[in-house]
Amino acid sequence: MKHILAVARKEFRHIVRDRSTLFLVLFTPTLLLVFMAYALTADIHHVAIAVLDYDRSPAARAFIQQITAGDDLDLYTQAVSFDELDRLLLEGKIKAAVVLAPGFSRSLLTLKGVPLQVIIDGTEPESGAFAVDHIARRAEAFVAQALGAQLEARGLDAAALTPLDVRVRAWFNPGLKPRNDIIPGLISIVMGMPALSVALAIAHEREHGTLEQLMATPIGRAELMIGKILPYLLVGLVNVALIPALAISLFHISLNGSFALFFALSAVFLFSILGMGVLIGVLVRTQAAALALSFLLIFYPGFFLTGIFFPLASMPEEARMEAMFLPGTPYAAITRGIFLPAVGLDVLWPYVAMLIFQGAVFTGLAALFFRKKLG
Amino acid sequence: MTTRILALVRKEFIHLRSDWWLPAFMLLGGLLELVMVAWATSRPITNLPILVLDHDRSAASRRVVAALENTGTFNLKGYTHNEAAVNAAIVRGDISAAVVIPPDFSTAMADPQGRPQLAIILNGAESVSAAEALRAVQGVAASLNQNLVVQRLGLPAEQASGFAFSLRVWFNEALKETYYTTPAEFGLMLEFVVLLFAALSLTRERELGTLEQLLVMPFSSLDIIIGKSIPVLLVAYTDFLLMLLVIHFGFKLPIRGSLALLLAVALGYMLVELGKGLVISVVSRTQHQAFLLVMLVGMTDLMFTGYAAPVESMPPALQWFALLVPAHHWLTILRGIMLKGAGLSVLWPNLLALAALGAVILTFSLRFVRRALD
Repeated sequence: MKHILAVARKEFRHIVRDRSTLFLVLFTPTLLLVFMAYALTADIHHVAIAVLDYDRSPAARAFIQQITAGDDLDLYTQAVSFDELDRLLLEGKIKAAVVLAPGFSRSLLTLKGVPLQVIIDGTEPESGAFAVDHIARRAEAFVAQALGAQLEARGLDAAALTPLDVRVRAWFNPGLKPRNDIIPGLISIVMGMPALSVALAIAHEREHGTLEQLMATPIGRAELMIGKILPYLLVGLVNVALIPALAISLFHISLNGSFALFFALSAVFLFSILGMGVLIGVLVRTQAAALALSFLLIFYPGFFLTGIFFPLASMPEEARMEAMFLPGTPYAAITRGIFLPAVGLDVLWPYVAMLIFQGAVFTGLAALFFRKKLG
Repeated sequence: MTTRILALVRKEFIHLRSDWWLPAFMLLGGLLELVMVAWATSRPITNLPILVLDHDRSAASRRVVAALENTGTFNLKGYTHNEAAVNAAIVRGDISAAVVIPPDFSTAMADPQGRPQLAIILNGAESVSAAEALRAVQGVAASLNQNLVVQRLGLPAEQASGFAFSLRVWFNEALKETYYTTPAEFGLMLEFVVLLFAALSLTRERELGTLEQLLVMPFSSLDIIIGKSIPVLLVAYTDFLLMLLVIHFGFKLPIRGSLALLLAVALGYMLVELGKGLVISVVSRTQHQAFLLVMLVGMTDLMFTGYAAPVESMPPALQWFALLVPAHHWLTILRGIMLKGAGLSVLWPNLLALAALGAVILTFSLRFVRRALD
């Protein structure tokens, strides 16, 4: 125990000695979360569109006014030709365009349909799809309104145009806002940073030849590893406390479940991922190599295999198995489970068991390789 | 001067050969990432688990379920008659959605004035799956609606589709996801490779104390900077070419504009990022610091690449800041050339901005690094 604390104190000094290292190690996970959350889940609005109106009737003008009311879609210009639309899309000045065919109002009023074309920029479909959604919703309301009088004459109401009444309820996340589940998911990626740091710290000792010196002291291998992990566990836990506070105040998401449970299970995750970091640090000789390997094993897979951006259910069976062996996957399920449906250990225990198992395997392997390489 | 620089370049490559992990990662890491992204995003979202709570149990309700299954989006886990089972499955995250068909569904379908109801419960804890499930359900509902309208208003069938508008997607007719995620990944990967490589190269010598040895040798600080930069550019440009080959031939991403322009701008962009990397390498005392700084700088740039949300949706202050981010202009140019077939006449504002930023960043970093070395 005394030995562990001595190693931890030494490692701690390495971090604290230099103020910029301290700042970077301590705040990188939180800062990364803020940047990524902002980049990946920002609300879309003020999408620029152009309108090409061949009809030029009062109904067409009313329609254009209706789709560009509000701050979702901004009317960039009234184009006069397809060539102009082409140019505007090419230059990226607009993300979508609405074309009203010559007979727009006539066919609308004779129940012949809506001769309307929507064009979007397929290179930025997020804003394009957003524009399509909004135009569709407004067009539907407009059609119902415009046809209301006619339908009444036939003894029908506007609802007759959409007889099927679909009621959608999204649990835990009523507006289906991506930020509400992606930000908790991102926590599983940024909390891998302390593991990268521990891999670098061990490789650093190796590169400078100080690991041999440490081995010549009466400190045991396990003590050395635990001592190395402790400061980064602490760094991780500081972030575990900081991140929900920031996510809630900056991005207005809510933590529906228990913070205590989130904190405790994050500690379990840190044990597992730091074990992986130590294993990487032990396997390589230089910091550059440690960096490369941690990127490949810790950082990249977080984006693709943890189910944050691409549903695990849609992956092939083998990929899903592989994903479950990376600590980020069970942890992403845990963070999302606690932030949104507010589930407890009764639901999360298989993920916790997986994390503990992984942690045991990683630290066990690290100890084994450590002995082989230096013993 | 050239012989001195060549000697430095040779020394640098000897380092790389003995520590092969880093160059291998630089060359293959980016490729591997691209392959993984393209693999994950080129697959449609399918197999989403769903439960059906059918209170009606009629031919009409079975047709709805069959239509949902036919979308190919869902994996029907089964029927249940119990609301509690649906709720529990959603809370546990076992299903992405549940469809509830009320008891009077078929009666309302048959009644000319009826408004049949369909309730969808989505698991909002996984918004990506939930949004896809919603899209599929809405598609099924729209076609049901259309049939009903045609039937009830006695419209000729060929008119029915007129109530929906036609959608055309430019530059990406099939709306392939790889078309917009891959250029962003590709462009950003290049930034990371250059930044990381440039930042580590000087910091490493400093950390190991070999920088002092280099400085006492007859190398000028400019020699050292150039000697350090050439291997970075060589490896990064090779990486760029490899990635371009893979995304063009492997993932069928078109290059609709001028390839020569793309190759030239890529080199220019690398020089700009190289300047940033050198500054990072001078301000950081350890490789650890350099690495963390690269992560922060790279991730800040990600915000301005239009990866998920367009820069136009950001607050005005951030939109102004975006103009100062080289990666922002680089991605506009990359997308413009590859997907839109845009040329100089369209892209000149971004090219000009990139050139101006490059001139400022490179001048500053050269002076800064030289002062730090001298």
